[in-house]
Amino acid sequence: MSAPDILYIEDNADFVDVVERAINQIDKDTVLKTIDDGVVALREINNLIENKVKPRLILIDMNLPGLSGLDILRHIKESKTMRYIPTIIFSTSDNPKDVRSSFDYGANAFVTKPLGYINLVKCLSSMHEFWLKTACVN
Amino acid sequence: MQHFKADLTNCDIEPIHIPGKIQSHGFLVAVNAAFNINYVSENIVEWLSVSAQSLLNQPITQLEKLLPHDGASDFLTQLLQFGRHNQGLESINPYKINIKGNDYNLIIGKSESNFLLEFEPVATASEVDIQKTIGRAVSEMLGGKQLQELLDNAAAQVKTLIGYDRVMIYKFLEDGHGEVIAEVANPDLDPFLGLHYPATDIPKQARELYKVNLVRIITDVNTEPSPILTFRDENAVPLDLTGSVLRAVSPIHIQYLKNMGVASSFSISLIYRNELWGLIACHNYTPRFINFNAREASRVIGQVVSSALEYKQDEENSVKTREFKAVIESLSFQLRNGSNIKEALAGFDTNLLKVTNAIGAVLVFENEITQLGQTPDKDQLQQLVSWLLKNMKDQVYHTSNLSAVYTPAKAYIDVGSGMLACSLSKELGELLIWFKPEKLTTVKWAGNPDKAVISGDDGLLDLSPRKSFDVWLQTVRNTSERWSREEIGHVLKLREEVMFAINRQANQVRILNEKLQQAYEELDTFSFTVSHDLRTPLSTIKNYSELLLEFNTSLDDEARRLVTKVIGAADKLNMLIKEVLNYSRVGRADISYELINMHNLLHDLKNELTVALQPQNLQLTIGDTPDIHGDTVMVMQIFTNLLNNAIKYSSRSNPSIVKISGVENTHDIVYAISDNGVGIDVNYYSRIFDLFRRMDNVREYDGTGVGLAIVKRIVEKHNGRIWLESEIGVGTIFYVSFKKQM
Repeated sequence: MSAPDILYIEDNADFVDVVERAINQIDKDTVLKTIDDGVVALREINNLIENKVKPRLILIDMNLPGLSGLDILRHIKESKTMRYIPTIIFSTSDNPKDVRSSFDYGANAFVTKPLGYINLVKCLSSMHEFWLKTACVN
Repeated sequence: MQHFKADLTNCDIEPIHIPGKIQSHGFLVAVNAAFNINYVSENIVEWLSVSAQSLLNQPITQLEKLLPHDGASDFLTQLLQFGRHNQGLESINPYKINIKGNDYNLIIGKSESNFLLEFEPVATASEVDIQKTIGRAVSEMLGGKQLQELLDNAAAQVKTLIGYDRVMIYKFLEDGHGEVIAEVANPDLDPFLGLHYPATDIPKQARELYKVNLVRIITDVNTEPSPILTFRDENAVPLDLTGSVLRAVSPIHIQYLKNMGVASSFSISLIYRNELWGLIACHNYTPRFINFNAREASRVIGQVVSSALEYKQDEENSVKTREFKAVIESLSFQLRNGSNIKEALAGFDTNLLKVTNAIGAVLVFENEITQLGQTPDKDQLQQLVSWLLKNMKDQVYHTSNLSAVYTPAKAYIDVGSGMLACSLSKELGELLIWFKPEKLTTVKWAGNPDKAVISGDDGLLDLSPRKSFDVWLQTVRNTSERWSREEIGHVLKLREEVMFAINRQANQVRILNEKLQQAYEELDTFSFTVSHDLRTPLSTIKNYSELLLEFNTSLDDEARRLVTKVIGAADKLNMLIKEVLNYSRVGRADISYELINMHNLLHDLKNELTVALQPQNLQLTIGDTPDIHGDTVMVMQIFTNLLNNAIKYSSRSNPSIVKISGVENTHDIVYAISDNGVGIDVNYYSRIFDLFRRMDNVREYDGTGVGLAIVKRIVEKHNGRIWLESEIGVGTIFYVSFKKQM
């Protein structure tokens, strides 16, 4: 069993579609896996870790049905095994309150979803460049 | 025995109830609780052929032996025991006794633990049948409808009863001085009616005694009083003679009476609501003794007058009171129904002014002075208010001679000789004030009141207090009609109502605050919903439009142009959402004040805007940049918006000239941002700050109509001001003022 490079937790199908296209355009070899439910996502991550593999980056949308983005983030950052996976909140919000609580729960970054495909490609490119190619992760 | 030497400097503290002497027309024996004799007046020897000394420390039986009587030999002991057990000395008094062929009244009184046994003649100068006279007197007195009639009748009845040369009714006025308001005198005497007597004529402690002893006779000012003897003991206390009928008179008062030519004086106290309202003062120019029964009858008349006073005075007051009450009721109604206290007290025909007999009233409330009727001017009022706030100790302060205590009031004697102030809140400096005009009054003094104390030839204060009683006229200036107890009462009542209204409004404000809080919370939720729910579909619109352009090669030019328009609209909608969110956030954000380096802020901003807007032909100059105190993020928003506007609306001028510079004044710092752009119609000056308001002449320029609304909100949050000058086609200057030192 192998892990995806990026695990993306998002319930908006349109946005999932656009992000998949953008990643594909940025780097064909990067494996993106999308899950639309927080509980399922957490189970999946644990599953991967048991198999000694883990995603290199987790993107979480804030506004999810059921377990919210912030709740998922908290579970990840409070878990001994998952906490070291870089986790980014990826949301339409630019509310300072949301940004602050994300960092309080231990998010590695807060990125506001850019408007438009062109901006999205730019944004994901730099994230891809940094988190998958530059940053050291253990 | 201690001796207290009276002179005029200590007249007010002379302990006149323990003079150690009695008037010499009778004699006194005092016994202690064990009925042993411990005080005897020296003159007892004139009646009983025994020296006072020999009776001291003897049991009462020694006295009983000396008094001829028909009953039991221990009759005195029986009387005292009866009095002690039944507390009913009144039922014993007077006990008739015959000494050497003459009848005497024994009057028993209490002095602390001692019993006073006082013997005085039964023979009296008044010969009328008291029983008959009293009944008639009371019915005649009460026949009068007006207070004045009652008093005139009372004076006449007392004159009939005791036959003195002159009977006056003397009323104590507010400041303690007295006025003769009714008089019946022998026709050969000069009338005293209408004369005023200075307060010093009847000292304070004498007035207190008048409240305890309701009748008081000074039988003959020309006889020597007799000393009271007690044991030879350094620690012996003088006998308290408050309850004594024979008590000797202060030498000062004796001299006073002598100076007036009076030989005998008799007075009856008039009490109104537990205070000494006045006296029925009776003078005789030859010695005239009236016995216990006649004095008791006079006391009854005094009590009848006193209770009638309560009734009549109350009745006369009540007519006015009813009018005032109606006013207060209206005001209360207005206070309870209106939302605004100023409006309720000063906005209607029935207003604050009508609560008293004042000619002017002022409401100092919420930093605003509201004048009604005739009052001093605003500057004078402001000074008066600060004086009052500093000096007022109670809720109410009133004076009928303001300029005597507050000199600046001399400038407005005509409207404000009298003032009544009532504080609502000392902390907030809120008051109600009423004014009364000067009332020139002529007072007829019995003698010059300023010379109530005269220096003698030797330069010492003369013991004779007042020699001259010739009428002395004084015109009272700077003084208004006094403030009545009723007026003060109404003011206090009104105060209650106002305080109630203020508290109720405070509650309303609290409730409003809670509602506002709730509304803000709802707005929070709304903001979040807007940012998320609107942006998500917007994102989708823009994403797919761009994907279409990017990857769909089958689109022709027309299709590409249409898709580009979709993208532009999406951008504009996104901008609008962002600005609205900004606007709502400014409303709630807390300001964190700091000193802002304006030079850096403006130069950074210039670079940023130049990059973002890519303006053509722009000449942007930054002049003086005085630093200001404010919230950096918010101040940045102000200048971003104003500069952005200046550049945008002058972009079609060539060159487009934008200038920004600040000026430091005493209290504020004013920044001016000018452009040579399209200009703003003067009619729209006030409306351009409204949310979503855009002028007709800027339709071709991009904008959301939110920017200036945000600017105004931020400026107001900083307690600053924003205004503008503009001319269509010439340009606009926006001014923003920031307060110095926050």
